[in-house]
Amino acid sequence: MMERSLDAKRVLVVARRVVRQLKRDKRTIGLITFAPIFLLILFGYALSGEMSGINLGIVDFGGQDALKVHLQSVDDFDLLYLGSESDAEKLIVEGRLHGAVVIRKEEVRILLDGSSPQITSSIMAESRAGLLSPESLREGGRGEVLDGGVGRGADDIEMGPEIVQRYVYGYDLEMMDSVGPAVLGLVVFFFTFITAAISFLRERTQGSLEKFMVSPLSRPEMVAGYLLGFSLFALLQSATTFLVVVFVFGVPMNGNPLTAFAVILLLGAGALVLGAFFSNFAKTEFQVVQFIPMVILPQVVLSGVWWPLQSIPAFIRPISYILPLTYSSDALRAVMLKGAGISDILVPDLLFLVGFFVIVFGAATLMLKREVG
Amino acid sequence: MNDGENSAPDSFEDYSIVASGLKKSFGKLRVLNDLSVKIPGGTTYCLLGPNGSGKTTLIRAVAGLLRLDGGDLRVLGEPVSNVRRVYPRIGYMTQHKALYPDLTLRENMEFYAGLYGIEGVRMSERISELLDMVDLAEHSDRITGDLSGGMYQRLSLACTLIHEPDLLLLDEPTVGIDPILREAFWRFFDDLAEKGATILITTHLMDEAERCKIVGYMRAGKMLAEGSPEELKRLAGLRPVLKLWVNDPEASASILSSRGFDVRRVEDVLQVTIEDHQQLKEVLDQVVPLDLRLIEPSIGDAFLRLAEDESR
Repeated sequence: MMERSLDAKRVLVVARRVVRQLKRDKRTIGLITFAPIFLLILFGYALSGEMSGINLGIVDFGGQDALKVHLQSVDDFDLLYLGSESDAEKLIVEGRLHGAVVIRKEEVRILLDGSSPQITSSIMAESRAGLLSPESLREGGRGEVLDGGVGRGADDIEMGPEIVQRYVYGYDLEMMDSVGPAVLGLVVFFFTFITAAISFLRERTQGSLEKFMVSPLSRPEMVAGYLLGFSLFALLQSATTFLVVVFVFGVPMNGNPLTAFAVILLLGAGALVLGAFFSNFAKTEFQVVQFIPMVILPQVVLSGVWWPLQSIPAFIRPISYILPLTYSSDALRAVMLKGAGISDILVPDLLFLVGFFVIVFGAATLMLKREVG
Repeated sequence: MNDGENSAPDSFEDYSIVASGLKKSFGKLRVLNDLSVKIPGGTTYCLLGPNGSGKTTLIRAVAGLLRLDGGDLRVLGEPVSNVRRVYPRIGYMTQHKALYPDLTLRENMEFYAGLYGIEGVRMSERISELLDMVDLAEHSDRITGDLSGGMYQRLSLACTLIHEPDLLLLDEPTVGIDPILREAFWRFFDDLAEKGATILITTHLMDEAERCKIVGYMRAGKMLAEGSPEELKRLAGLRPVLKLWVNDPEASASILSSRGFDVRRVEDVLQVTIEDHQQLKEVLDQVVPLDLRLIEPSIGDAFLRLAEDESR
């Protein structure tokens, strides 16, 4: 059967109805608005609690044993041994390390994220202390500390390691900075998915879907109407979440907020059609709730919201690459932290999100046809 | 009408639905078994039959919601494969209510009006008219979820009628409605049919079937019998029975028997089967009863008889 082209009026009629329904559902509105704030505050403090120790990476290419011994002895430091400087850098970028010490015989490079002056000075002080310890001097090495960027000491012609200090990020990078943008995507995805799945299930069980089938309303028009109606709420939700992320947690908003909204809407659209698609496999609302561990949890765990994709075992990682949240998190971080524009996040992030939406939209529309026995 | 006439293209115009040899199975279960039916325009047509006889399946097929295994089906002149084209002219009421419980009555109606492109003044007029008709005008701003079952059903019908459809497919529309309102519904259906709409209705209530112009009795996916309620009763061999209370039943019985009437004596009451009013007069010329009662057979009796015949 031929589907006719989209009729804007009918799409609006559906959208208006969806908005009217949601508007009347005060509890859902409250949940949509305040749950993200609650989650963020919860995550925000829980994560900042985790930061009581200083996470220091060690990249050891040999030498400077006294420094190593000293760093191990500092109680505040949680040490993580890494294979290369670029690994260390990556983890600092991801916000998992506060700094790293790259140890070579001839040079000690200290990478810092500069998130907090106390942490920076603590790492610097302990490194100096390690190098200037009597054991260290006995080794014959001598360190020269140079603050304020890359440089060489004036009197390091002598043998012995040189300390090079480098800031990996030019601005404050707390865990929240990297988690905030990702959580923004997560809450929109979660609520849109669940609300959409239940709404479409109800269309089926209350018989309106069958009635639509025998009306001028086409399936794409119906789904498009839902998209339009839900977009308003996704915007409302992301706006409140934005405010909390930016103003309460001080996550920078270096890019254009409209670009971030565009990413969120695209993700929300994907979540909506995915919900519509999954609603076909549920008979009751109780069964819809059972999709959460299947659909939502893998995204929470595998999309790089809490820990970097690099730390996810390689054999699971392919799953990460088919999850929309992986791409939205990446895009939102780029926009908010690095000030990326549309063109910067087009490949692969936006392209994937668009592709995901188109494919699932098609699948969801086809599944709606299942009513025809 | 014979087949030759039916194959002429313009003859379809007189029929809203023309089905021939419809077949549909769900797995091994045959729900439509070579079913043929023609439903003229501007009539009330009732599909009657026990549960599982295929009534709802036939309605769904007409609505284009079913992939038929075989047969030919035309709806409002369109082959069923193109039925989408005539959707704006069809009103379909399923056994589900298809209403949004969190909207008000008016909002539900506005939504369905919008789907059919009805807006502005025409929409408000139409909504008031229909809410009046189903006696819900005073509740128009209530939340639909707070309504009683019967009110739900009435609103569902009002939504189905919003676009003044030419063909109404009503699957058990009067379930849960009190007798007074049901009567009002039927008057309204008659009225619609008079104006030219075709109403295809399923029911298992015999007295409702009696109100339709044509009744089709379905069983096991087949049309067993079809006709006006009167024709069906005759087909089932049912006649009105005249009950007579007389002074001397013995004598009266033999008089009537000798005149060729079918007389049975149950205790002191005579039961005389009659064909028509002429016969009624003849009976009363022969005997003078103390009391009498004319029992018309019900369509229910007719179907019981037809079902018995079929199973034999």
